Amino acid sequence: MLGLESLVGFCRTLREHGLSVTPAEVVTAAAALQIIDTKDRDEVFLSLRNILTTSVDDFPIFESLFATFWSGLPKKLVQSEGSRIRRTAPARATGVAFFLENWPTSQSVNVRGASETESGAERDFSAFSNEELEEISRIARRIVRRLARKRSRRWRPVKCGSRVNLRRSLRLSLKTGGELIDLAYKERRPKRTKLVVICDVSGSMDSYSRLLLQFVYGLQNSFAKVESFVFATSLSRITGELKNRTYQRALDRLSANVRGWSGGTRIGASLATFNAQWLRRIDKQTVVIILSDGWDTGEPEQLAQALAQLRQRAGRLIWLNPLLGSSTYQPITRGMQAAMPFINVFAPAHDLASLRALEPHLVL
Amino acid sequence: MRQIQRLLEEQIYIADAAIATALYLSMALGKPLLIEGPAGVGKTEIAKSLAKALDTKLIRLQCYEGLDATTALYEWNYPKQLLHLKLEETSAASEAEKEAAIFGEAFLLKRPLLQAITEHERAPVLLIDEIDRSDEEFEAFLLEVLSDFQVTIPEIGTITATHRPHVILTSNRSRDLSDALRRRCLYHWIDYPSLDKELEIVRAKVPQIGPELSRRVAQVMQATRSMSLSKIPGVAETLDWANALVALNATEMDEEIMAETIGCFLKDETDIATFKGELPRINAD
Repeated sequence: MLGLESLVGFCRTLREHGLSVTPAEVVTAAAALQIIDTKDRDEVFLSLRNILTTSVDDFPIFESLFATFWSGLPKKLVQSEGSRIRRTAPARATGVAFFLENWPTSQSVNVRGASETESGAERDFSAFSNEELEEISRIARRIVRRLARKRSRRWRPVKCGSRVNLRRSLRLSLKTGGELIDLAYKERRPKRTKLVVICDVSGSMDSYSRLLLQFVYGLQNSFAKVESFVFATSLSRITGELKNRTYQRALDRLSANVRGWSGGTRIGASLATFNAQWLRRIDKQTVVIILSDGWDTGEPEQLAQALAQLRQRAGRLIWLNPLLGSSTYQPITRGMQAAMPFINVFAPAHDLASLRALEPHLVL
Repeated sequence: MRQIQRLLEEQIYIADAAIATALYLSMALGKPLLIEGPAGVGKTEIAKSLAKALDTKLIRLQCYEGLDATTALYEWNYPKQLLHLKLEETSAASEAEKEAAIFGEAFLLKRPLLQAITEHERAPVLLIDEIDRSDEEFEAFLLEVLSDFQVTIPEIGTITATHRPHVILTSNRSRDLSDALRRRCLYHWIDYPSLDKELEIVRAKVPQIGPELSRRVAQVMQATRSMSLSKIPGVAETLDWANALVALNATEMDEEIMAETIGCFLKDETDIATFKGELPRINAD
């Protein structure tokens, strides 16, 4: 019989490794051990995994901890090792994916605006590790969900809803001789906010692109009308590439289809291309987000002209500049100077807190 | 546990030890089972097979955005109530009697959750499908019902389940479910099947298919899933394809028949293009 103490110990170990195992789950696990064959490794493994994990993301860590736990038990209990549990090694990243995953983090030292603070939410993106990627996706998802949930003030008739549409109901009652039998309902029309994200992936943005692309990926894959583009010297639409089940896959497709990563920057020309091809899709319900540090090698006049056009059609124009996270940064580059008059919101995008702060700006 | 596995196999559901364990624990401990996995790997099928295996009713609640208590739990049949009052207008019954009459069981529309709770004969299987598509408010409401299987209807009183239903929830992970819900449930993850398991499934579900062809079908599907596609085909698609091949009396796979039936498992123009590009590589394997 598998002892209660060793079970409790195992649950503690799981908790120490970040799994949230509640006392209620421990009780359930103890109850489960009463009704299964505790000598059979597979049976114990599967049962405890059913009970103690709450998501497939927990599986790898559970597997490795269980292996240690089981081998630590007195040997006579263990009848057979059972079939080995496979642990899949993460696939090697290739192309841009490899490049993005293997950025030397020390590079951030050379970038202006890399923040001096080290810990917590204020830590600079350039020093971020893989664990925070998921958090970035979560922020993106929350933003998109909030966009989708926003209701307009107008009503629309619906089949079932919470508010009765009195006018329609009375009209319907005419066919039953004035008796209200079928009720009609109405609800607030959902607001259709669209997002266009234009992300700078030129050399000067290198230490931020990885995280910002993750953010764009998160936005793109959360059921809303989102169009995304990247530019360095020329503009590429990446909506299709990003629409992938995994970030890894999206990166692979990006590396196959998009050229000019980490090159020079021609913001003005890229935005002009955007205007020529996509401006007609922009309307007052669209929020345009430009992610760039504003270092431009092109003519500032061209940038100003492109932004003016964009500003006129878009509902809101947001410029996120990762360098703004630094207290010493002033938007004095020629490009940034030219852009400033046309921007509704000029905000930093260098850490998680700044992305979170973005939420209210996006709701029109 | 083995018994469950056998029972499921009688319903032509190829269950492995993991699924059997999950179902066994869920039934033995009386806890809901949350099944997650990509689309089309047979999550819903588990509940259907379980209901058949236990020879009990399957009550299904399909979740969608905006699903609320009135469509999931119960609703008063107010047109009927109105008509009843109309008929009773001239009767001598007092107001209280009339009210009691129209709030009787006859005027109650039972939605899936209430149905599951009031099932008299034996515990039904309650399938709450695609819970990730419902709103967070509904999730909270569901927690309340699942924790003690009782429902309070103000006009009638509290109804407690006579037999605790076997609850199975499925989710495609289109959004994060709340931790509270996850903790209440046992958790099981189904992934795409391995080559051998898929082969077994194809042969069990489409027995008319030849051994050579079925192996080829499974191989192509396995290769397809490793491609970078926008919509990865599930087991349901594999079976559709196998059925289509049988219907066309195909005995072996060639380029022509593959081109004719590709729509069975790839439903996106760009995916088909990707697939065709990789076809020579697959054929070489």
